[in-house]
Amino acid sequence: MESEGTTTDRAAAAADLAALQAGRAGMADRAMQPWWYDVALGLLVFELISSYSLRANWVTAAALVVFVAGCGALMTAYKRSTGFWVNGLRPGPTQRAVRVWVVGYVVVLALAAGAEYGLGWRGAVVAGGAVLGVPIALTSRWWTRIYITELRKEL
Amino acid sequence: MTAVQPRFDPVVHAPPRLQICGLLAAVDSMEFAAVRDSVGVSDSVLSKHVKQLEEAGYVKVGKATIASRQRTSLSLTKDGRAAFAAHVAELRRITG
Repeated sequence: MESEGTTTDRAAAAADLAALQAGRAGMADRAMQPWWYDVALGLLVFELISSYSLRANWVTAAALVVFVAGCGALMTAYKRSTGFWVNGLRPGPTQRAVRVWVVGYVVVLALAAGAEYGLGWRGAVVAGGAVLGVPIALTSRWWTRIYITELRKEL
Repeated sequence: MTAVQPRFDPVVHAPPRLQICGLLAAVDSMEFAAVRDSVGVSDSVLSKHVKQLEEAGYVKVGKATIASRQRTSLSLTKDGRAAFAAHVAELRRITG
């Protein structure tokens, strides 16, 4: 019969912590997404941002639908492959990757929008979308590496 | 950073429940089957422990139908996260 005790000794506590650590290590082993996940994410960001360049609301709306559906499909694929889901905006060390991405996103998008709409450089937003598609793929991978390190860290 | 106050929690303490909380603490949600496989118990044993955690307000059970199959996911509530963190802090205090 299982123990429903209200106290524990030092050896039992150490064994409990070791079991918890082993469980987290098992999750770390399968937490990394396949390469195509990051490529697809980069393409989704590219198609969404590039759509602004056509200056047609229906195109942007359609691109947004594709983006949301694509993100949903990626989420389902990740859950199927790992059995779990982790919010990208969760508190902790992974926030570092999110902050880098947000700053990069704002800077590149502002430059691209300024060039396209301010200076009239047609296609600047498409270039901005391509520039942002690569870092989101890299940041996504970096984020998961930080998460895996966190899982392997001593509790 | 606020230090977690160590507190022994008998609901979290039982080995299967401690492992369940340990897995769920690291994620937003986890499939029932993935928890079962990681903990190494049967569906019925896991259901029993999940029920106890749910009654304590520590675990939330979600059900969704995807491609005509019902999938059950588990997640720790805010209270569950706090209880687990306090229990782990207590284990660490005991081990020194």
